[in-house]
Amino acid sequence: MERENIALPDGALGAIRFGSIGLGLALIAATFWAGWSGDDKTAKIALHAYHIGFIYALGLALGAMGFVMIFHQTNAGWSAALRRQFENVMASIWAPAGLFAFLVLMQWAYMTHFKDGDAFLFSWMNTAKYGNDHLLEKKAAYLNVPFFTVRAAAYFIIWIGLAGALYHFSTRQDTDADPRHSYNARKLSSVGLIAFAFTVAFAGFDWLMGLDFHWYSTMFGVYFFAGNAVSSVALVLLICVLLRKFGRMVGHYTEDHQHDMSKLLFAFTVFWAYIGFSQYFLIWYANIPEETAYYLVRKEPGTIWEKLSWALPIGHFILPFLFLLPRPRRRSMGWAALWAVWMLVMHALDLFYVVRPEAGDKFHWADVTGILGPILVMIGFVASRVAANPLIPVNDPRLAESLGHKNYV
Amino acid sequence: MSSTLSQQFEQASPGQSGSTQSETTQGELWGVMAEFSDAASLYHAAEHFRDAGWKRWDTYSPCPIHGMPEAMGLRQSKVTFAMGTMAFLGFSCAVAMQWWMSAVDYPIITAGKPFGAWEQFTPIMFELSVLFGAFGAIGGMLALNGLPMWYHPLLKKNRFLRVSDDRFVLAVEASDPQFNKDQVKALLAKLGGQHIDEVEA
Repeated sequence: MERENIALPDGALGAIRFGSIGLGLALIAATFWAGWSGDDKTAKIALHAYHIGFIYALGLALGAMGFVMIFHQTNAGWSAALRRQFENVMASIWAPAGLFAFLVLMQWAYMTHFKDGDAFLFSWMNTAKYGNDHLLEKKAAYLNVPFFTVRAAAYFIIWIGLAGALYHFSTRQDTDADPRHSYNARKLSSVGLIAFAFTVAFAGFDWLMGLDFHWYSTMFGVYFFAGNAVSSVALVLLICVLLRKFGRMVGHYTEDHQHDMSKLLFAFTVFWAYIGFSQYFLIWYANIPEETAYYLVRKEPGTIWEKLSWALPIGHFILPFLFLLPRPRRRSMGWAALWAVWMLVMHALDLFYVVRPEAGDKFHWADVTGILGPILVMIGFVASRVAANPLIPVNDPRLAESLGHKNYV
Repeated sequence: MSSTLSQQFEQASPGQSGSTQSETTQGELWGVMAEFSDAASLYHAAEHFRDAGWKRWDTYSPCPIHGMPEAMGLRQSKVTFAMGTMAFLGFSCAVAMQWWMSAVDYPIITAGKPFGAWEQFTPIMFELSVLFGAFGAIGGMLALNGLPMWYHPLLKKNRFLRVSDDRFVLAVEASDPQFNKDQVKALLAKLGGQHIDEVEA
């Protein structure tokens, strides 16, 4: 195993790391300024746009964390060589943690700046406007600032703890070649997956479903996870293909690994559609006012949300389904990378569709900067991780099995 | 175990025991078969037949041999096309059937929903796509394998039965454009084939 095949040179990806983080921070600052200098409506738009970017960044890390734990839990052999790239994305959880801290700061600043205005990300926090709402009174035991804060802190402590420990096991194994790290990772994953399932579902409830406190959907936690799984697989697939493009991981990321990554992308694309449709179908059929409010806004004729209601099933499901269906396309790195990029864009559109209608249908340039800023910061963090470590877990006990992985006809 | 089994085969066919000469063929010639003692020699023989551009031949082994599809130059199975076509047909049937029943022939107001709403059709569209796709897969597999078939010519050969135990067989069909009985026999012998025998249809 030659070193240049499994590691990037020292100081590699500098332009992406610093350029992406720098530009991202500048866009975030511009977003904040747009809200600060405008009226409370603009502030609300800035908050929602930034929230989309934050959730996107968070979802990448969470999806990757789920895959790392599933790989450990199932003792997966095929994925050992490319698990490091999932770990790199997972360990970038610090980026969304920081982005969330800034979101709290932003909300606090707007709240004090626009004293009587509606500059709130979560409408339930706007007690001046919704204090007497009957549903809010009923849900006050869950939707209150102290409990919300405790939950958010608990999520990040659990995620950072899990990601940190799993990353530590894997990178320590690179140097000391101790197979016990693999056992420890597997043990941690067994409880970690349970904690992961609960925290991801409730984070989805708190941060996306909670945007409109009237609305609820018991499916929403799974919907959030499905989107994260798609975007994280797409990102890791893209990283692996790019590394191959630059002559790295030759023999470690083969056509057969590509085939399986494409299968995961394909499977979770279908899974997203299945969950998304099930959520819509039950609400459509039951026709209960508290539930239909969500789709009533998004199916309002003539709005951009109505167009997105058509664009998402087609672009996020039907097109990738038909194009990734033939086996040769899934085995081709070029085709798969193209669809990975497509799915990453579609996932952003999906979050836009979930979050943005809550801030009305007026648009502002802060929509673009707010979404791109956090995503660019996340990309910079991921690039730093990719450059920092060997590109494969060099001493993983299952590495030999992974290198010989084949999909037979 | 394998020796006992092979003895049983040979007892069951005393005329063939240890024979290398061909049986008297009365029917039409179906092809030529040769035995190989191990997977590696069968694999290399398959590579040779692939590279020489033979069309109608097959390998038979007691276990799957990794890499054999590549060594034989097999392309992706065409069963997927049968499956995809049937799945699409199932999808279309589901749309047409439900639209006809609930929007045209016998519309009933249900929960105030539009008669032809696609939402309520979707589960059946999915189910019929899967069902027809499965029919396509089974039917396509049977058709491409030439099934149902009363018997396979190779099964008339008692020595061929050992392919389910410890022998590896390569058989070339007479319908191959390159087929010439004596040349094929010589080629199989050169590649390490034993008990080369003619098979009648």
